[in-house]
Amino acid sequence: MMRTRRNPIYKRILSEIEREVQFHPRYADLQNQFALLWMVEGEMEKAENHFLEALRLNPKYREAILNLGFLYIEMRRWKEAEEIFLSEVKRHPRDGSLHHVLGILYLQAGREKEAAARIHKSIRYHSYYRDYYKKRRVWQRGGVHLHQKAERTLKKTHLNHHYAHLHNFIGLYLAKKGKSAQAVKELRKAARLKPDEFIFHANLGTVYAYQGAYPKAIHEYQKALEIDPFYGLGYANLSYIYGLMRRTHEALRYMKKAVQMNPRYADLHYNLALLYSDRKRYEEAAFELKKALRINPNYLFARINLGVLYEDQKRWKEARREYRKILQVTPDDEHIRKRLERIS
Amino acid sequence: MLKEDFVIQSNIRRMLIRSSIDYSRMDFGTVKGVVYIRGFFRISRLYTDGDEEEEKEFTVKTLYSFEKKIRSLSGVTDVIFQFLNWRKEKGQWVPIEGKKKEEEKDDDENKTESNL
Repeated sequence: MMRTRRNPIYKRILSEIEREVQFHPRYADLQNQFALLWMVEGEMEKAENHFLEALRLNPKYREAILNLGFLYIEMRRWKEAEEIFLSEVKRHPRDGSLHHVLGILYLQAGREKEAAARIHKSIRYHSYYRDYYKKRRVWQRGGVHLHQKAERTLKKTHLNHHYAHLHNFIGLYLAKKGKSAQAVKELRKAARLKPDEFIFHANLGTVYAYQGAYPKAIHEYQKALEIDPFYGLGYANLSYIYGLMRRTHEALRYMKKAVQMNPRYADLHYNLALLYSDRKRYEEAAFELKKALRINPNYLFARINLGVLYEDQKRWKEARREYRKILQVTPDDEHIRKRLERIS
Repeated sequence: MLKEDFVIQSNIRRMLIRSSIDYSRMDFGTVKGVVYIRGFFRISRLYTDGDEEEEKEFTVKTLYSFEKKIRSLSGVTDVIFQFLNWRKEKGQWVPIEGKKKEEEKDDDENKTESNL
């Protein structure tokens, strides 16, 4: 059974979420959070109902699918849990953590051979699990050895996922309420329980950033990017943090990387353009603004920036053209009208 | 005064994350120290037992404080609000009628929230 029962913060949040669910019964994320909290309270049936409701509202809601799977493990409903994780593995065959969970599930269900095969796969697909099982002396001399002590420990670890997601959610909830010190504590617990989950480090980075603890925020984002180097928005967030520190040289470096990873995000091109423009690299700025406009022709700010950029370079004709286009969309924009009048 | 648009932009982003504003339907941009903000201005998950007056009052207060905070940012020379559901008239924030239904319709289409 879960250890965090009767924690006053969780109790309070449970009643707050209950109230929010009454107001917004069709928010899948609220239903998922409500279910997580019921699980902590040991109310497994209620938890199941709310996870199912979250999935009815959004059948592709991956976090709720996984949480339901862990709930079934906790309820020793092996078949239902197995079904969930096997279908996830089918979709993400190289996700080491899913093989790891299936290994734990089979161990609990007394299917040791299958457990060993899954543990082997988790090690193959995710280096984190190699160290994890090595430390517990399950991975030795290139093979899986399930000894009694390790089995006892491993059987309890399925709860790590649940606790980690619970602490992550509580952390985000407290952060939204402005309680960032408590939020950091919760998010750190989440990251400790599941150190290979990049999003926990990214969330921790975000909370540190809005606390103003920028070096810590950078450290956490860098950890998140070590785990998942393809987490493109992580580079963008690092860039914003350097922006807050007025270290625009590093901000430019990371925003370039973010654009490279997400070339279809108009907003990132726009921000990269601002960085170029601030450094008076006008040609590169105009190039990025045009890219942003190609992706989203209604990106008004990109057009305004482009117009002003042309104006600065005394390219009056091009500036007028951009301002006229803006006024077609927002004819009441006095600011742009004045700019246009000034150069007409 | 040094006008670093990207620095201003990063500060507004941080400000929004720290606030109770639902910024999922808002856009903002910075042009040589002039901040532009567009879209729908809403408070995230505001529940006031259906009391519209209370809701309006809270939103107006948030708008004033948001505006003040942006204006106080170093390098900001002006702020231009182009909200679809609120406008400033003679220094007062007033709701634009006829936009509520559009917002409610969009609410139904956006049920799953993202992380921070």
